[in-house]
Amino acid sequence: MLRPATRPALAATRQVRQCAARFLSSPASPDTSSSHVNNPSTTPKTNPSSPPPNSKSTTSSKGKKPLTAEQRAFLSSALRVNQAGELAATLIYTGQTPPLVTRDPSLRPLMKHMYDQEAAHLRTFNDLIYRHRVRPTALYPLWSVMASGLGWGTAMLGKEAAMACTEAVETEIGGHYNAQIRQLLEMVSEWEAEGYEVGGEFRDLLNTLKRIRDEELEHLDHAVEHDAQKAQPHWLLTGVIRAGCRGAIWVSERV
Amino acid sequence: MRPSPIPLRRAARQILSSSSTIRAAAPALPTARRSLNTSTSTTGSDCTCGNGSSRRPQIQQLPKQQQHQQRSSYHSYDHPSSPAAFTPVEESILSVAYQHVPSHGFTSSALAAGARDAGYLDISPTILPEGAFTLIRYHLVKQREGLAARASDLFGGEGHVGARPGLSEREIKARVEAVTWERLLANAQVIGRWQEALAIMAQPSYVPPSLKELALLSDEILFLAGDSSVDPSWYTKRASLSTIYAAAELFMTNDHSPEFMDTRAFLNRRLREVNEVGGVFRNLREWVGFTATAGVNVLRSKGVRI
Repeated sequence: MLRPATRPALAATRQVRQCAARFLSSPASPDTSSSHVNNPSTTPKTNPSSPPPNSKSTTSSKGKKPLTAEQRAFLSSALRVNQAGELAATLIYTGQTPPLVTRDPSLRPLMKHMYDQEAAHLRTFNDLIYRHRVRPTALYPLWSVMASGLGWGTAMLGKEAAMACTEAVETEIGGHYNAQIRQLLEMVSEWEAEGYEVGGEFRDLLNTLKRIRDEELEHLDHAVEHDAQKAQPHWLLTGVIRAGCRGAIWVSERV
Repeated sequence: MRPSPIPLRRAARQILSSSSTIRAAAPALPTARRSLNTSTSTTGSDCTCGNGSSRRPQIQQLPKQQQHQQRSSYHSYDHPSSPAAFTPVEESILSVAYQHVPSHGFTSSALAAGARDAGYLDISPTILPEGAFTLIRYHLVKQREGLAARASDLFGGEGHVGARPGLSEREIKARVEAVTWERLLANAQVIGRWQEALAIMAQPSYVPPSLKELALLSDEILFLAGDSSVDPSWYTKRASLSTIYAAAELFMTNDHSPEFMDTRAFLNRRLREVNEVGGVFRNLREWVGFTATAGVNVLRSKGVRI
């Protein structure tokens, strides 16, 4: 049952999804089927000691193309910003949970579910960042303080404000992940067009990003279902938080 | 009586006009330099260097950025891209010149001897823009790259990644010490010349690349030791290890004890000190965190809505 006010946001979500789906089903995309399947083999390796897949299959004549400096710069900033984002997300939910749950204990399972997912995302990116030797963001303490403050502050404003915060954050994050996936797919399809092989590392990374993107958009749906649109003034809250997110993403990609 | 302003003005006009002629002359300079460049490059590629062989030193350098960016960003296992730090010609000269370091030091004469042995003209080291420092950088890069193999020997052939899950803090520290010591031992061959090298590295134009190498080294050591922290301690660990390594290296140049035992003791003392200081900070942070959480929880239990 949806109130009229919630429809625009859901429509926006759907648009993002459709856009992603259209992109995924384009012929350049390497795997259209597995984008919504969380099959265990596509999840990232959580075991850093496991040897990287070095096995060279004989299907391709050209082997694997080395990454260019730009691609490596893109990948390191992508992983760095994702780690910072997931760190912020876990801290936002950590900050939001106690005030929200004392007011409305029925929210406890939802908050726990969302927190657990974010914590798993953070572990994934921590592992990736270590494996691929990417520098973590230098503003880690700053993001920690700001995210905790944002989570606690919005929860103090009430359930609607907290949900509006989630809505704003996850909208930005969903779009951000989509942009990354798009760029990675471009990289992969370029390699395939040139006849190079694509390593399992990149297929895993793509699948991980897709899975996490979908989970983030699921949080967006939860937030909208829980009266995010009733927050007063909704446009101001979401506008400020979304602008802040974009700023933080911009900074984390660089520092 | 005031002097008449006219001579002054004339002088000023003269100065202005002369400066304008300088300015007019200025654009001519780069073109002159460019023509010089083209002439040298053509002669460079036309002359056959070496003992009548068809081998010609290619005067090509990697772009600066590529040289200094290696291994500092995303490290791919499936699509490895490690742009060689040196071009093949540089490599061939430097690898031979490196053999001459114990006798000639990190000098241009070692480079010239290396070029001669590699079958090039004595003059060919001029393709190395940084002269003797290139030889130092060669040492730093090669020893850093060789560290992975030594580490896998030390830790039982775990390949390129030093980590296995469940390494305790204490084990990681022991491994950091072991790898750092391996790297220090790699200086043993050239230790008699290392003070000269440090002096060259301390020259202002070579400080940034030297520090960059130091940073890459400490990153490599911590990675090989299996330190998987990706929070702010990523920075503090690298900074403290770099400081300790640089100090130990300096200590080692004056160490005459058998098998550099004193240096090893020095290294261990410094690492222990860092652990102690780090422990104090960790405990302090833990205490503050605990007290804050406890305070908030007490307030919540009293019914304050926070």
